[in-house]
Amino acid sequence: MPRFVRHLLLILLPVVVIFAILPGIYSNHLLLFNFIIFMTLAQGINVIYGFTGYLPFGYVGFFGAGAYGFSLMALHLHTPPLVALPVGAAAAVALALLLTPLFRLAGAYFSIANLAAALALLQVVSNPNLENITKGPYGISLSGVFNPTLSYATALAILALTLGLVIYLRNSHFGMALKAIREDPISAGMAGINVVRERIIAWLLSALIAGFAGGVFAWNVSVFYPETVFNVEFTIFAIVFALFGGNATVTGPILGVVILYGIYNAVGISTPQYFQLLYGLLIMGLVLFLPNGLVSLLQRWGIDVP
Amino acid sequence: MFTYSLMAGVLFGLYFTLIGLGLNLVFGVMRIVNLAHGDFLMLGAFLAFWLFTLFAVNPVPAVAIAFVAFVIVGLPLYYLLVPRLLRAKDPEMLSFILFFGLSQVIEAVTTIAFGTSERSIPGDQLGRAIAAVAGVFVGHKVETGPVELLGQTFPAAWVASGIVSGFAVLLVYLYLYRTRLGYLTRAVMDNRDEAIATGIDVHRISAVAFGIGLGLAAAAGVFAPFMLGSITPAMGAEVTVTSFAVIVIGSLGNPLGTVLGGVIYGISYMFMQSYYSSWANLLPYVLLIAILLVRPSGLLGRRVRRA
Amino acid sequence: MIRLSVFAALLASITTAGARAADAPAEIKLGTLYASSGRYASISMPVHDGLKLWIDQKNAEGGVYVKAFDKKIPIKLVAYDDQSSTATAATLYNQLITQDKVDILVADSGSVLTSVAVPIARDHKMFLIDQTGTGANFFTADNPYVALMADPISSIWPKPLADFLTHDGPGLGIKRIAMLYATNDFTGTQATAVRKFIKESNSGVELVFDEGVPTETSNYTVLLNNIRASNPDAVLHLGYASNDIAFLRNVQDSGIKFKFLFSIYPGIETELLEKNVGNKALNYVFTYVTSMDIAYKNEFGMSLKEYSDAWHKKYADSHVEFGFNSIAGYTTGLVLEKGLATADSLEQLELRKAIFSLSGKLKTLDGTFELDANGGQIGELTPLGQFIAGEDDHLKLVTVWPHELANGKLVYPRP
Repeated sequence: MPRFVRHLLLILLPVVVIFAILPGIYSNHLLLFNFIIFMTLAQGINVIYGFTGYLPFGYVGFFGAGAYGFSLMALHLHTPPLVALPVGAAAAVALALLLTPLFRLAGAYFSIANLAAALALLQVVSNPNLENITKGPYGISLSGVFNPTLSYATALAILALTLGLVIYLRNSHFGMALKAIREDPISAGMAGINVVRERIIAWLLSALIAGFAGGVFAWNVSVFYPETVFNVEFTIFAIVFALFGGNATVTGPILGVVILYGIYNAVGISTPQYFQLLYGLLIMGLVLFLPNGLVSLLQRWGIDVP
Repeated sequence: MFTYSLMAGVLFGLYFTLIGLGLNLVFGVMRIVNLAHGDFLMLGAFLAFWLFTLFAVNPVPAVAIAFVAFVIVGLPLYYLLVPRLLRAKDPEMLSFILFFGLSQVIEAVTTIAFGTSERSIPGDQLGRAIAAVAGVFVGHKVETGPVELLGQTFPAAWVASGIVSGFAVLLVYLYLYRTRLGYLTRAVMDNRDEAIATGIDVHRISAVAFGIGLGLAAAAGVFAPFMLGSITPAMGAEVTVTSFAVIVIGSLGNPLGTVLGGVIYGISYMFMQSYYSSWANLLPYVLLIAILLVRPSGLLGRRVRRA
Repeated sequence: MIRLSVFAALLASITTAGARAADAPAEIKLGTLYASSGRYASISMPVHDGLKLWIDQKNAEGGVYVKAFDKKIPIKLVAYDDQSSTATAATLYNQLITQDKVDILVADSGSVLTSVAVPIARDHKMFLIDQTGTGANFFTADNPYVALMADPISSIWPKPLADFLTHDGPGLGIKRIAMLYATNDFTGTQATAVRKFIKESNSGVELVFDEGVPTETSNYTVLLNNIRASNPDAVLHLGYASNDIAFLRNVQDSGIKFKFLFSIYPGIETELLEKNVGNKALNYVFTYVTSMDIAYKNEFGMSLKEYSDAWHKKYADSHVEFGFNSIAGYTTGLVLEKGLATADSLEQLELRKAIFSLSGKLKTLDGTFELDANGGQIGELTPLGQFIAGEDDHLKLVTVWPHELANGKLVYPRP
């Protein structure tokens, strides 16, 4: 059986099935929804950072663009949510296209510029002069669209598609090309890979993922301020979860989310005052002692992790 | 309105020059993104606050104390964090996350220790210091209060921070271009690998640069209660991003570039506040992106690694 | 016939009373959130501590009286820390409702942290006790599951200020008004309300400077210069505490003396402002007079003095400031107490009915509790006052509007 199909059955199917069943057993659906969102976002980071080595520190910009794209369609044109969602994702992709010139920059410059772009978008969206369009700083309130069950199911579908995409990347030429670009762009170019084009495709894909996640998040929560959907926390968490699990694999980010976000919620509920401290120390420890993630431990022992 | 904004912009910008100076040094030497820079500024501000509240120390000497204290903190911190970091496959990116973690830790500890309420130092403290210094030069007693420059009045704090900032730039410039340690630092900034090859103890140089960077941040922090309203443990984050904009606009590795970056930022910000006030906070980000796309090596141009 | 029905009613009430007492819960679960860190911590912790004070007081008396079961039942507080993050808050509100299955849901402080609770409470059909979230768009006709306890909604809050400016203003020579506000839901909405009230009044008062700045703004030197250039008779600054601190300090540092200067937080968090800005800068500043400075005749619950004493005794070692927000938390408790003593059951809509029935009638240390049809608070308004320094440099807050509550003469223009 081809690896691709085997991975689909081994990874995608159980995750989707588990998260489809859990709402029946565990009634804090919002928590489950957040798990799905973070798993999606962590895979999005995986696509761009794990596979190409660029770290988008302003990743939440795409998330917010998706959320606002969705909301503006629902608010002004009264489009049904399932139609507004792809529009939101398209908004995120449009933003990514706009930012492609940033690829000329190396490493840290790219990340900082990306961060600035996300913060700039937040400022634009929350400006009271645009109140008639984006509702400015007063926040969005989507009545009539609120549907936790359907939005949960849609989020799960988005996660499934994302996982499918990453599994494809892991097992395809395209994915290998991306990893080659990450390791050494010059040699990759000399080997005939169209570095610029492949990178841009990965970039747009990761923006698409975040855009969908943002749109379905807006649908689920339906009342939010600009800072909620442009919160840098989303970027940080997605990056940390992806890093913790391990990059350029499918299971890495999933593991990262399940373990770290799980701890986050457990600790957050029991000992909150030391929470920020513990999480900060955890992040530092992660970078210093396990920079290649959990799955790198497994890989060191010779196990090939999908 | 125009003249006032212009002059205010220069003074305000000079403060951001001071903030950016330390960040510039750290990034230039180590290529490490110190996302905790704003938090060290916050720690400097709290140090000044406690020195004033508990020991009635005027902020001006507190600047020197803060600087020295954080140079001393920076040295071991460097050795604790950076050598391990540099062994990873992608240190530049990972440094983002590492220092983000550090910033969270600093914020958390400060919040637990001091609580979240706003703190301030009375505004006339700096005024008194300036009056004292001015009195020495002029020969007779000078009144405290707002300072008059070219017909416009500005808060004494702005003038004080402008002076200290100029002083700091001068010191950094002298350090880099007139001392042996600075000479070696510039070698490392130029090309780290070659510097190692020529036998320079890169870690020692970097540690000193890191310490100075933190020291400058803390020194800038002493002025924060006057320039930025009040201090809270969470104030660091915003300052960090703005200071990145400032150093990028100037150019990395060159202290004079940071002066230019700071002044440009300050003037633009003041003009935005006057004419398009609700968009004012958009400015640093737009400037940052524009510069990076149009002239990535900054306005004073140093070679920058391109992808 | 009548006697039979009376007998039947009596029988029914006895049996149900017995049944009610029998299935009374062992405790009333009250679920809430607080922010111990982050940008909303300074408004959240005092409110939370105030609520806790009420709970501990009731529990020391054996519990809160619940009419539905005709007995005192102790309150169990289930509280989580949302760290000022809306995403965390949303998950935790959900946790309170679905996992902890609380009987009463109380929101965290401020519009931002309350906003996420509104749709969640509505979805689960829980009546949300909104403590200080004044965002006017929470209270719509199609959502019965929310009501505001302790602060007036932002669109009504500045009415005393606007009324003063439009009624007394012209007589004092106030014609040109400069308004600077921070663009967020709380103060932006107040600015809109002020603008509206001024326009509708047709009193000759006009806005000659009307600018919004981002909430993160921390220096106002250039803006002050521009305000001064517009030659205003009165200057209004509407922002959060950190904005007020920066603004007032900048005013002092620039040496500018406006004839009339209003800002919100000197009244709401007086201790904090005094510490950061200093008495000299606060002298002659106009502000809202909160229940901290007016000893409203309380017909229910502790008076201001009693509450202050109880607070300082209980929280002697705490960093948390005693201010208007501490009163808000306690007021929430009082409304709940009266509500539980009135409601016929613990059903959410029954609680709603009971709390709405208190409108116009409940007078606490926070003023008169009054709700509009959608649950927005239109009572508990804060009059306009001015800080005037006495000979000992101590600041006294003099109420100047409305005239019925005025207890001193205002100083205009400032010397």
